[in-house]
Amino acid sequence: MPGKKSLHIESSGQLCIYCGACVGICPLNCIYLDETRITFDEKVCTRCEICVKACPVGAIEID
Amino acid sequence: MAPDLTTDVLVIGAGPAGSMTAKWAAKAGARVLMIEKRQEIGSPVRCGEGMSKDWLPEVGIKPGRWVNLEVEGARIYSPSEKVFEINEKHAGNEVGYVVERDEFDKQLAIDAANEGVEVRLKTAATAILKENGQVVGAKVKQFGTTFDVRAKVTIGADGFESQVGRWAGISTNLALRDMDTCLQYRMTNVDSDVRYCDFYLGKVAPGGYVWIFPKAEGLANVGIGVQVSQIKSMAEARSYLDAWIDHHPGYAKGKKIDMVGGGVSIAPPLKQTILDGFMLVGDAARMIDPLTGGGIANGCIAGKICGTVAAEAVHTGDASKKVLDKYEKGWRVRLEEKLYRNWLAKEKLTTLSDETFDKIIDALIGVKLEKLNVHNILKAVHDKYPEVTKEFEAFL
Repeated sequence: MPGKKSLHIESSGQLCIYCGACVGICPLNCIYLDETRITFDEKVCTRCEICVKACPVGAIEID
Repeated sequence: MAPDLTTDVLVIGAGPAGSMTAKWAAKAGARVLMIEKRQEIGSPVRCGEGMSKDWLPEVGIKPGRWVNLEVEGARIYSPSEKVFEINEKHAGNEVGYVVERDEFDKQLAIDAANEGVEVRLKTAATAILKENGQVVGAKVKQFGTTFDVRAKVTIGADGFESQVGRWAGISTNLALRDMDTCLQYRMTNVDSDVRYCDFYLGKVAPGGYVWIFPKAEGLANVGIGVQVSQIKSMAEARSYLDAWIDHHPGYAKGKKIDMVGGGVSIAPPLKQTILDGFMLVGDAARMIDPLTGGGIANGCIAGKICGTVAAEAVHTGDASKKVLDKYEKGWRVRLEEKLYRNWLAKEKLTTLSDETFDKIIDALIGVKLEKLNVHNILKAVHDKYPEVTKEFEAFL
């Protein structure tokens, strides 16, 4: 989708604590938690920003 | 590609609800495979680690090395920090143990394994398999290798972040006011009291509370839950918790030795937890108590029913909704009324001002409540602050 804001989940260990809160709350079920990686489906994400709010440590940024 | 597997019951997730389901299905003679995406059961811990204890015998759990200590009671702090003490005599089953969740979860998995359950680690479900509208198993990935697991009954016990239910076709999506986002530090060198679990209410934790659950002398879980609908900016769980600690010298001097977080559903009961060939249990089925945030007891109680019904479906050769409905009805008989009632209470309590919380706690202090229930609480509050109970008349 052209013009989409960029969403970045910091999951290299600096911020993300792999708690899965974002995975559970995503209304489109497009965030995935492997044991040590959080990824999301870029094609499906609509930038609703719910995950940004739900993350307890602010590891998800959007601009 | 590895060869496909066939089993009677596939349990996805080896937390308490999953292990409990697996154990009771195996006890009733079913072949059970339980898969866990992590390399270790029960770790990392995502829990305040406080739980009531009266339900343990019903599901066959004996106290063990996973108990840190038994608390005598609970202390509820109002926004201005007036304290209302609840001791075991009044609260009955609401106070109990502080536990080591990783040890507890492992013990439940051991109990399941001892009944014959096969357990596979680092094995994640990646899709649900359906044939003619019936769930027939899951696609899984183990150590990077994908294969199918075919099962007569598939059980989603994959926790708060559950995807399996959604893949199967049950909507477990949460409204923002039906979720708390939580953060917790395990801290040493703090002035916690091993006799009490403490709860701090008010704007210090919007739509949730700060908890202090003692693990040992000077060692405690210090955590917070914040309602997502009340969150305005990023990382508020952490900023609220850090602010609370900064304002409490007995904890500001503490040292953090652990940090965990997670989402907690504070939702009304799901309308549906079964499909043909499929059942959802525990946090994945939104069974966490909306008032306390406690989900272990409910997950295990439902797990026992779920495992028992799964075995019945296997033995009768019929895993359709018609047969699995026994689980749907069974867990609702035990849990639904309290879940719904506590959700109504949470909907009300998350809107209260600090002033109102102070009045409620103030009215309860010094009143000899014979029994702690909604009626007695409201009566005590009404005697002192009748304008407050006006708001609750509809709720009653």
